[in-house]
Amino acid sequence: MNENLFASFAAPSMMGLPIVVLIVMFPSILFPTPNRLINNRLISIQQWLIQLTSKQMLAIHNQKGRTWALMLMSLILFIGSTNLLGLLPHSFTPTTQLSMNLGMAIPLWAGTVITGFRYKTKASLAHFLPQGTPLPLIPMLVVIETISLFIQPMALAVRLTANITAGHLLIHLIGGATLALINISATTAFITFIILILLTILEFAVALIQAYVFTLLVSLYLHDNT
Amino acid sequence: MAGPETDAQFHFTGIRKYFNSYTLTGRMNCVLATRGGIALLLYFKLGSKKTPAVKAT
Repeated sequence: MNENLFASFAAPSMMGLPIVVLIVMFPSILFPTPNRLINNRLISIQQWLIQLTSKQMLAIHNQKGRTWALMLMSLILFIGSTNLLGLLPHSFTPTTQLSMNLGMAIPLWAGTVITGFRYKTKASLAHFLPQGTPLPLIPMLVVIETISLFIQPMALAVRLTANITAGHLLIHLIGGATLALINISATTAFITFIILILLTILEFAVALIQAYVFTLLVSLYLHDNT
Repeated sequence: MAGPETDAQFHFTGIRKYFNSYTLTGRMNCVLATRGGIALLLYFKLGSKKTPAVKAT
């Protein structure tokens, strides 16, 4: 049971070769490229969704921030589609791997910070001290703000990893409990099955919300630095 | 957020002109001074740990 619980989080391999790269690349083929002025329904819906998301997300940004539009839209589509595909039974979810999420969070966060230091050096440095801080608290607050800056990418990665992993574990456990209870008590098994259905619906929402939160936070870090 | 156009409303004199928590320049200088102080502290602390043989003589 213990070995089976975490087996779904192990990096998959086929005949000794790692196929995690193929799994990471798979969601991209689910988004067809528009190649006509007027496209079919699927591509039109895809374009409408991307336009809706990008308009809402980029409304707060200035001209420099909007150069990140492609990056942010790719990010939310990738994380959202990867999380949703991970809800299929027996599938591997790349976003349960901390290494993968750190690989996304650290470069994006570093990009925003370096952009801020490069173009608005004074404002970026002044950002470490909130306006109106009393004199005796200044050194402590500078240290606290510096630490909170370096925690940002860690929090981004761990938030996504923990949410998706916890959801998958819960589904696995409650599904196992439902199966185990069928022979013991049909009523309890039915109640557990209802809980499993509700949890699955919640996980669908969490998959999309976590993609949105990740992208929104990167967008906010960018807004602070542009 | 404070910007160059709002810094003009503050009129500090002396050292407060360069080190305060209201203007952009003041905040930047406070941050740099704090980090510089910590860097100096670490430099002298680590420097004194590296030369125990010299201290013994």
